[in-house]
Amino acid sequence: MTDALVLEGLTKVFTNPAVDHLSLRVRAGELYALLGPNGAGKTTTLRMVAGLLKPSSGSISVFGVDALADPAGAKQLIAWAPDEPMLYDRLSPMEYLDFVGGLWGVPPKEGRERAENLLKFLGLWDQRDQRCEAFSRGMKQKTALAGALIHEPRLLILDEPLTGLDAAVSRQVKDLLQERVRDGATVILTTHILEVAERLADRIGIIQSGKLLAEGTLTELRERAGESQGTLEDVFLELTGEADALPETIPA
Amino acid sequence: MIGPGSTLWLLGWEIRMAWRGLIGARRGKTRMVLFAVLGVVALGLGFLVAIPLRGVEMPVNTLSVVISDVVLVFVFTLMLSQTLAMATDALYTRGDLDLLFSSPLSPRKTLTVRFLALAASAFAAFALLVTPFLLPVAIVGHLAWLSLLLVLGALALAASATGLAVAVGLFALIGPRRTRTVAQVLAAIIGAAAFLGSQIRNILGGSGMNSAGQQVEAFASNATFHYPPIAAWPLRAALGEPVPLAVFAGFGIGLFWLVSAWLSRRFAADAASAQGVDVGVARTSSRPPGPFANGAFAATFQKEVRLLRRDIALISQVLLRVLYLLPASFLLLREAGSHQSLALPGGAALLTFIAGQVASSLTWITVSAEDAPELLAASPAPATQLRAAKLAAGLAPLVVLLIGPLIALTMMAPVTGLAATLGVAASAGAAGMINVWHPIPGKRSEFRRRRSGSLLTGIALLVVTLFIAAATALLALGNVFSVGAVIPATIAAFILLLLRRSPAQIAEALAANA
Repeated sequence: MTDALVLEGLTKVFTNPAVDHLSLRVRAGELYALLGPNGAGKTTTLRMVAGLLKPSSGSISVFGVDALADPAGAKQLIAWAPDEPMLYDRLSPMEYLDFVGGLWGVPPKEGRERAENLLKFLGLWDQRDQRCEAFSRGMKQKTALAGALIHEPRLLILDEPLTGLDAAVSRQVKDLLQERVRDGATVILTTHILEVAERLADRIGIIQSGKLLAEGTLTELRERAGESQGTLEDVFLELTGEADALPETIPA
Repeated sequence: MIGPGSTLWLLGWEIRMAWRGLIGARRGKTRMVLFAVLGVVALGLGFLVAIPLRGVEMPVNTLSVVISDVVLVFVFTLMLSQTLAMATDALYTRGDLDLLFSSPLSPRKTLTVRFLALAASAFAAFALLVTPFLLPVAIVGHLAWLSLLLVLGALALAASATGLAVAVGLFALIGPRRTRTVAQVLAAIIGAAAFLGSQIRNILGGSGMNSAGQQVEAFASNATFHYPPIAAWPLRAALGEPVPLAVFAGFGIGLFWLVSAWLSRRFAADAASAQGVDVGVARTSSRPPGPFANGAFAATFQKEVRLLRRDIALISQVLLRVLYLLPASFLLLREAGSHQSLALPGGAALLTFIAGQVASSLTWITVSAEDAPELLAASPAPATQLRAAKLAAGLAPLVVLLIGPLIALTMMAPVTGLAATLGVAASAGAAGMINVWHPIPGKRSEFRRRRSGSLLTGIALLVVTLFIAAATALLALGNVFSVGAVIPATIAAFILLLLRRSPAQIAEALAANA
């Protein structure tokens, strides 16, 4: 079976390397969590995969399509949803989905049906004709997520999808992601909420300073960290060496 | 007095933020160097004007009094237009007001400083224009003429107070939902009022095209006209006479103090109640939505047109430029029947020039002011196709606006009509292409400040549209001189060729800006 995403020696240098010869594979149909401390290179990596940043070197393959040689072909298979929703305040959710569907070449009739299903699933149907400017952060995030799903991407890339969402919306988003994975889509997400990765992810990759530090299922990572009963937080802190950096006492 | 939390301390922060906004976060040094060079050049020109004025005393007579009063009214309307729009923005855009109101500073102090910033902004625009000329004039012996800056300051304070009063008055009269739209449109009309007033003869009819200067001169030379002494006070104040100057300064400061003391509490309450109302649950349409767009071009075109239609600030800004089009359009249609040889080419050229300016604003909005650039970059749609759709959407309103008058003109005066149509199409197209080749990415809300994005592009646009307008005028003559249109048209085409960028170069420039 073709891997959903293959990165080989991916590097991005700004003044210093943000991503440093990163190689990883994400299997088709899995939910992969990419974790790392702040500034580890997670977002830079995902932005290169989404075609928003040009790598300094290395290769990106999306379902066998060379994303650097055929960016449009790769983008057709991908959806990218950053933590800040990419929305237009003066468009309604329905109009937004109309626009995004057009960008990905979704046939009009099909696009309308999908938009209706998505908005109903996400509880936005009653607000479908209201402008997004009055929406709460959660509603905006859900609208953006509907936009990411309108063309039924095979690879869904989400950067901190649950940031700032309340418990109910967060649950809806997690349910939606799991449903997509059950339907055969591949999901890659970054998150600082380690419980989410622990509960949802089939496999977890931890990067630090632009390099892959460890990768595997939670059990495999526990073994590697020598934390057989630890939570993902314990494992993460152990592997990244951040546990040692924590102060022993909290200053008054 | 100047410690943390004082009015001056807060004002210092406002000025610092405004200065950073002016020089920009990037290329700040380049801009400062550019400003310095422009300043030196302007000062040089100022000395050229100032030296012949050495020892010349300004006569206070009917003509100078009428001119100074007209200029005073003109400047005040422009300042009022600016402060009204800014006061309305301040009502609806919280910015850092939440932070300031949550601090122990009194809301009145916070708002007084915010209102002062409106006045400072209005003052700065005119002070920057006159200072390079005023300083050399003062150096060569007219030190008292620096009082003009005090007059401008007093005018700015009065304009700020009036703008605030109008914004708060509208809020009370028509409610928060309508105030923003009405105030923006009102600001545009006030801004154009003085110009339209000077062109009233051209709009309503009259014999030929009289310039505003000619009209003022004719009015002042009327022997039966005697101005009241108070009419000379603006001129006397600007020339540094103590009593008129003190009265002027006192009036500006007094009006500002009264209005800010009287309205600051009301303004704070209005600003609080405006939150969320403006953006309320605005439904886009009561009709069921139509079919989805077919393809990236149609989807992008439709999205841009929808956003243009719903952008109140943009509508008011474009309205301002459309108002400037009115005298030219009236003149053209009126003179078309009489076949006046000079009025028709002049009108066609003016129409061409202003069409280029309007097209530039609209296409900047659609091409560069993209609120979700990453969404487009992450899509598989080719960037060239998206840019074409955005360009078409930016030019569409101009087509809707001008197609009727141009058809009417062509039927009445075929040569002028065809020349104007060609000129409008060329200048609008050129303005659009310059925006495509040299995008200045920004948010839609930055529309008012957009000209600070690239001075070079702004100058290039101005020069190209001027040459196209000149070609249009020559073409509209419809005689042997029309052949001469080739020269300015070729120069414009040559400049456009120099400005042209390939899609790869555009992508590179955008990446460098990201």
